[in-house]
Amino acid sequence: MSNYRRSQNQAHPNKTNALMTGILVLLILFVSIQIWFLFGALNNALRENFNFALTTFIGSSILAVASFWLLRYLPDPIDSPDNEL
Amino acid sequence: MDEKKPDKVPNWKRDFPIQKKKATHVSRREFAKYLGLFSGTLALGNGAIVIKSLYFPEEELKGEHFVCNQADVPVGEMFQFEVAGTTVVPYILIHLEDNEWRAFEQKCTHLACAVRYRADIEKIECPCHKGYFNPRTGDVLQGPPPRPLPQLAVVVKDGQIYVKAKDQEKFI
Ligand code: FES
Repeated sequence: MSNYRRSQNQAHPNKTNALMTGILVLLILFVSIQIWFLFGALNNALRENFNFALTTFIGSSILAVASFWLLRYLPDPIDSPDNEL
Repeated sequence: MDEKKPDKVPNWKRDFPIQKKKATHVSRREFAKYLGLFSGTLALGNGAIVIKSLYFPEEELKGEHFVCNQADVPVGEMFQFEVAGTTVVPYILIHLEDNEWRAFEQKCTHLACAVRYRADIEKIECPCHKGYFNPRTGDVLQGPPPRPLPQLAVVVKDGQIYVKAKDQEKFI
């Protein structure tokens, strides 16, 4: 393979760090919103508010799918065979 | 990705890297994956609520239940009783002024402590975290409870007191 990746890593050693931080921040944001939804849904479902439960469920599922999809962009581990530094 | 080339280092060894740099890097990946897992779990939990309210709606109290005689409860007093349905639920009956009666579930909507009526301040009080409810409507006046107290309708017939399910205004 070309040495493009390696020279990139050498030129910008902080890149994976930034990517990782960005992903983590997004994930934490998603999870926080989901906790908020769940909390609201629990309180509202007890008042037999079905629409609220359904809406938060849809929102929560979208966020979960987004979280899974974000995991694709996790940078490879430094010791992965592709990433000889 | 990891699978592309056969890796000479066995997996268990990769879990305990020698360099600190590698160790921190891997654990952040794992943290991100756990967050993803947690996110999925929360979505499932939300789905469980939907299923619960779709297929296991709360059953309304059927028919009228005798509580006590009108003469047993003076004005400003409360009377504890239970209604046995699918589960036994404790209720309180309150005799307000103007011969008005109210019946509420006794479980506080915050953390399920037993509430009591205080005639001196004309409020229903939850002693656990000082939550206060309106004794006429069950609405929260103060404190941590998130929802009003569930209420039953009270029927007075020939000096005897009965309770039945209240027609609920559904929340939108
Ligand atoms: S349990 Fe009633 S206020 Fe907390």
